[in-house]
Amino acid sequence: MSDSYDEFDDTTLRERIEANPRPALLWALGVLVLLALEIGRVAAGIIRVGESARFALGGIMSIPATIEESVAGTLGAGAGTIAFLLMALVLLVIAAIVVKWLFVPVSLVKRLDIDRGVGTNDVLERALITAVLGVFALLIVATPLGSAVEALIDGVTRGLEAVNSIQPITSRETIPNEGYRTGDGGWEGTFLGLSPAWAWALRVAVVYTYAIVWLVWLWKGYEIFREHYREADWTPRDDSINRLRNHYWGLFGFVVVFLFIVMALWAQPLSPVTAEANLYSPYEHEFQYYDDGSLETITHGTANVQTRSQGGDSNVGLMSYDQYDRFAPFGTNQDGKDMFTFLAYGARVSLVVGVLATGLMAGIATALALMTAYYKGLLDLVTVVVSDSVISMPRFLIVLLLSVLFMQANHPIAAIYDGGILLALIFAGTGWPGLWRAVRGPSLQVAEQEWVDAARSYGQTPAATMRKHMSPYIAGYMLVYASLTLGGVIIGVAALSFLGFGINPPTPEWGRAVDEGRPYVSTASWHIATLPGILVVLVVTGFNALGDGIRDAIDPESETSEGDAGAAATGGGG
Amino acid sequence: MTMTFIIIRMGPIDPVSAIIGPEGGAAQRSQIESRLGLNDPLWEQYTSFMWNLITFNLGQSWVIQPGRGVYSLLGTYAPRTLWLGFWSVLIALFVGIPLGFYAGLNPNTTGDYFASFGGIVWRSMPNFWLAVMMLAVLRQSERFFFGLDWHTFGVEIGSLVGQPPLDFFGVTGWTTIGLLSIPSGFYFSGTTLAASIKQVLPAAIVLGSASMGSEMRIGRTAVLETINSNYVETAKAKGLSNRIIVWKHVFRNALIPLVPIITNEAFVLIGGSVIVEVVFSINGLGYLFFQAAVQGDLPLVGSLMFIFVLLIVGMNIFQDFLYTILDPRVGYER
Repeated sequence: MSDSYDEFDDTTLRERIEANPRPALLWALGVLVLLALEIGRVAAGIIRVGESARFALGGIMSIPATIEESVAGTLGAGAGTIAFLLMALVLLVIAAIVVKWLFVPVSLVKRLDIDRGVGTNDVLERALITAVLGVFALLIVATPLGSAVEALIDGVTRGLEAVNSIQPITSRETIPNEGYRTGDGGWEGTFLGLSPAWAWALRVAVVYTYAIVWLVWLWKGYEIFREHYREADWTPRDDSINRLRNHYWGLFGFVVVFLFIVMALWAQPLSPVTAEANLYSPYEHEFQYYDDGSLETITHGTANVQTRSQGGDSNVGLMSYDQYDRFAPFGTNQDGKDMFTFLAYGARVSLVVGVLATGLMAGIATALALMTAYYKGLLDLVTVVVSDSVISMPRFLIVLLLSVLFMQANHPIAAIYDGGILLALIFAGTGWPGLWRAVRGPSLQVAEQEWVDAARSYGQTPAATMRKHMSPYIAGYMLVYASLTLGGVIIGVAALSFLGFGINPPTPEWGRAVDEGRPYVSTASWHIATLPGILVVLVVTGFNALGDGIRDAIDPESETSEGDAGAAATGGGG
Repeated sequence: MTMTFIIIRMGPIDPVSAIIGPEGGAAQRSQIESRLGLNDPLWEQYTSFMWNLITFNLGQSWVIQPGRGVYSLLGTYAPRTLWLGFWSVLIALFVGIPLGFYAGLNPNTTGDYFASFGGIVWRSMPNFWLAVMMLAVLRQSERFFFGLDWHTFGVEIGSLVGQPPLDFFGVTGWTTIGLLSIPSGFYFSGTTLAASIKQVLPAAIVLGSASMGSEMRIGRTAVLETINSNYVETAKAKGLSNRIIVWKHVFRNALIPLVPIITNEAFVLIGGSVIVEVVFSINGLGYLFFQAAVQGDLPLVGSLMFIFVLLIVGMNIFQDFLYTILDPRVGYER
């Protein structure tokens, strides 16, 4: 614990850690051990992130060419080339701003001694980085350097793939649950000869234990930081966290959200059968079962036909084995596919779409709120008009209309992730005005504060003022509303899928399960439609509760005025 | 509305192929295109679209019922949705607000916790799932309600789904006095009314579920707030009876924050009606909109959206107006 708070102590976090490295090192060691246990999965995750980043980059890089084509089509080839160059330049500038913000901590302008005053410095800085990036891009495109980079990426990918093959502790290979019953009643192929149900339960327990250990370790890390490395003994945030720790409703929400996120992230080991084998290409994967004293081999697809849950006699209910000794914790669906696998992967889809949409929405809303509060005037007016015209249309109808349009036209965006990306974009595009309105009040308030004026009179750039002196004040509100919105997006996606215009098969989605199970609700196969609905209710309640908890934690005074509850996710959205 | 135009006209949807089907020839195609004015320049289409909307010339359906005016479609479809919306608002009001007030008047009791928690969970139930569950439970109501069969309980209805019969009230004759025509003869059928209510009730409960939960929550906090306010203390000090305090001082003031919630139901109802009407197969506006969107009936989608937007804007103005009446502290000039 630092003894006194020194106002003029501006050592960085790195210097403070260097001064007293022991606790930090211990903590980092723990992180390494935890990572090592799951090394394969981490590597797989990195590969997947890399692939999607590459895919996105490829998409962005094709923009200038597309524009060139369309412009050249109408205005001739010369204009096309100009448009291509312009667009490339715009992209480079955007890239430069991002790169500067993320990776270049030092001021190039100061290094090169070309100081020209506050406003121009920023522009110069970005122009320099743009130039460097442009040269780099040219090098990659035009010289052998491009293939060298390609080879490097390949090498790294291959290395990661090698690591990927190392078994993580939570993998289905460590604790296999797919086996067959031998004639004498024992189990072959499962973990320690346990029955598949117990093996599966054990794996679920291991996964959740691992996740909880991570959670505890992260909390521990925060405590270590607070005790050893933070300058101040106390910050207002400590109080907020303490309040949240005693807010049982918020904690309930946190637990539900945690369970949901773990379910989404570890969908692969949590599911009793692999999604590849059971959901996507069931006729290309085989398994063995024991039948009348002999070992038979059958594909998942053929077996699934026999294990359909369609009411009456053909039903595989909760916590039961089908006739091929496959264990189905949540039964099977109407196609005989395993319900729990479906739901676990559905959780992943919901989470990805929800987080993506909410993230985009929150980003747009925060940026707009800061700018409109700082500049006011015309910008504010335009944003008010635009957001009002978006808000005045019934949200669900416009979302429905848009997704119907894109899906029927087979727009390329609708193909990515079976419509998931499209849905996220649509929800973000229609949802930002609500969020922006919610934080508009607080951001206008903070823009009036003296410290903003002071920053301005010190000659700080508007961007820096917004980032450093205004956004921390908005962030708390944003967190609350984002949590509430996420639930709404999850409901909306499920509702669209229910109507048949959300996530397309074969990618699992909760709402579609409800739709598919509809004919069988009043039969023995009631679980198909019921369980996903209960999950949606739980998750949405969880996100609402978490939002409530955070709001009460950061702003205990607001407890009495719940007039903004309209922002909370309600089933009305779908 | 400009946005609606952009979405439906610039979007990739093709109404012509929806009309003529996959077998239509190119000649037929261009003929229809020119008849619908799709060959005009975009800005001309835009101005005529906006002008038609402003002059309430809502045009005709192209695909769903070709040639039929939007007004006549509205006349057929809207009453069902209005009937549904009416009941869902009513149920939400008469269940949500009393429950919320009860919870607010007895804070931190078991009843309060039960009502609050129920309200929160009830509110976050997705409509589509609730509708499916509702139908499933009612289908086998003998099993769940101790032998009470929903089909034959009270008035007998043939099926759980389908649109409610709305001919319980009809005008048979008109008399003209001067310029005013007033209905001279009408009939009223109690049985049909009951059947109609019964038919629409499950759908209305589902549609009203979200607002019911919100009303309960807001009602609870509003009551809690007023009960702890100074004027209630004063009223208590004056020795007013509990009943008068609750009815005259608490109830009235607690209604004020509920106004936006109630008017906001318009949003929820319009959006939610799509799903509820699809599940309960009620041929209402939401269903019509869904069909129009799916089949590419552009003018119908545009006109319906226009009507919805008008409704919502009207509701918002009405809400502000209501506010100034209910709460004199809020004025126009501020």
